[in-house]
Amino acid sequence: MTAIEIDGMTKRFGDVTAVRELSLEVEEGEVFGFLGPNGAGKSTTINVLLDFVRPTEGEVRVLGHDAHDESVAVRERIGVLPEGFSVYDRLTGRQHLEFAIESKAASDDPDALLERVGLSGDGDRKAGGYSKGMAQRLVLGMALVGDPDLLILDEPSTGLDPNGARQMRDIVREEAARGATVFFSSHILGQVEAVCDRVGIMRNGELVAEDSIEGLREATSADTVLRVTVGEVPEGALAAVRGIEGVGEVTHSGDSLRVSCDSDAKTTVLSTLEERGVDVRDFETEEASLEDLFMAYTTDGREVEA
Amino acid sequence: MTWQAVARKDFRDAVRSKWLWALSFLFVGIFSLPTILLFYLEMGTAPPQGETGTSDAFIYLMKQGTSVLVPLIAIVVAYASITQERESGSLKLLLSLPHSREDVVFGKVLGRAGVLTLPIVIGFVVAGVLILLTSLEFQPANFALFALLTVLLGLVFVGLSVGISAAASTGRRAMVAVTGIFIWFVVLWNSFANQTVNALNKYVGLSTQGEIQTTLFLKLLNPTQAYKTLIDAFLMDSALQSRIFMFSFFRRQGAAQALGDSLPVFLSDPFVVAYLLAWLFVPVAVGYRIFDSADL
Repeated sequence: MTAIEIDGMTKRFGDVTAVRELSLEVEEGEVFGFLGPNGAGKSTTINVLLDFVRPTEGEVRVLGHDAHDESVAVRERIGVLPEGFSVYDRLTGRQHLEFAIESKAASDDPDALLERVGLSGDGDRKAGGYSKGMAQRLVLGMALVGDPDLLILDEPSTGLDPNGARQMRDIVREEAARGATVFFSSHILGQVEAVCDRVGIMRNGELVAEDSIEGLREATSADTVLRVTVGEVPEGALAAVRGIEGVGEVTHSGDSLRVSCDSDAKTTVLSTLEERGVDVRDFETEEASLEDLFMAYTTDGREVEA
Repeated sequence: MTWQAVARKDFRDAVRSKWLWALSFLFVGIFSLPTILLFYLEMGTAPPQGETGTSDAFIYLMKQGTSVLVPLIAIVVAYASITQERESGSLKLLLSLPHSREDVVFGKVLGRAGVLTLPIVIGFVVAGVLILLTSLEFQPANFALFALLTVLLGLVFVGLSVGISAAASTGRRAMVAVTGIFIWFVVLWNSFANQTVNALNKYVGLSTQGEIQTTLFLKLLNPTQAYKTLIDAFLMDSALQSRIFMFSFFRRQGAAQALGDSLPVFLSDPFVVAYLLAWLFVPVAVGYRIFDSADL
């Protein structure tokens, strides 16, 4: 079954189109990373899944239920870490969890949940005194109540320190191992790379790419960046490098040359430079990070069909 | 349906607020002050024979105050019930759980009603005990009816305020709306009623009886006046008398003549209760519909 089905969804707020004709499917059991810069339409999409806002056009189904008409049925089976929430200042962490357990008619143990999200010992404090990271952990704990079939996490690592972010990833992996589908948004790529099966990239309200991480890498023209420190660059040298098979973008500034290319074209690039009389003083290679892909997708407007 | 969980959570949250305890002290203070005063004045002196009053005297004295204070406090307790959660973002937490927006609105009405009712009941219990200590003859039935109507008045204004809170997109708008409505009910209503009748007189033409009945009907639509006349009705043991008392001293004779021996059904007690309850249900229903269709 499909966990999330979005078909031709458009959301306009007055004159502003937040999301334009978005179609997206997330299969059951997948860990799906929803990427994009702030304002790309990620949170609006998630808010539609949760029925916080209603789409202007299109159909949205979550776990087989209509996201608006059957929203309560949807929310009985999902766990949510929303974006821009605040906790109830006067209630303790434990009372928050108890409220979630009662609301979902679940039978979880609040202490076990507190421990799982790293809040054991803080459960009897009022949540109003929690730091941003602690509040984030608490709400993640609420999201885990009742072993949901689908976890929707909107920017889950906001406010977390590196250790907290790692724990968050561990929990995502554990939940996926249990069989849950995980849909989370982020503008921080390291996390997505580490846990996702597939990613979708949003830009200006449109989905510009949707693929596995490996697929995304292959889809771009280059997956290695060669940085060469050079002396004089004679005329024609750059053109010769650009002509090599497997070489993508070549940029030159000062004594630095940046060449995107296939891994196996690296030696050819270096030998060609030397043949053309370029003084190669130093070089280093780096594998293209998701960051590069991200930049490529969100600024160049290149589109990849999934 | 999970509104019970929402109501319980809301009440639990509010019970930890210092507000609730301040309110309880306020009600206890206000309700017990007159009796404490009387008790103090009577200390050491035997009650004058044959002149002992009843607890009804206490009700006459108190109802002017409660008719203004209870709505005011209900408004303070409830007007931000939904806008505050909406503005802070805790509403997202609430609606991430399997609660419908209907559950949220009803749960809030119930939770805030509890927050208001608890201190009112405490205030009445304390006042009742104190009355027993004075020479006033305790009339339990009337006292209980007074308490019941006061709780009902509180519920009406909680419903009205939660309805406005559900409909408003910001706390500021909700505050402007409830303040406006409060002033309208407490200060401007009678002149609104009189001017409406004058205008009707001018353009349609009303008989004296029609004029009195229309004025009375408009006055009864005001929940605070409905509350007071219902109290008067059981204290005076006559709905007709209590309705006549809604007019100023100089108009009472004319009103009595125009109304004759009996009240038309739409001015009778059950209808007054219905008008009062409408202020509870209609704003909640309208507020819910607006809230239900809103993008959060």
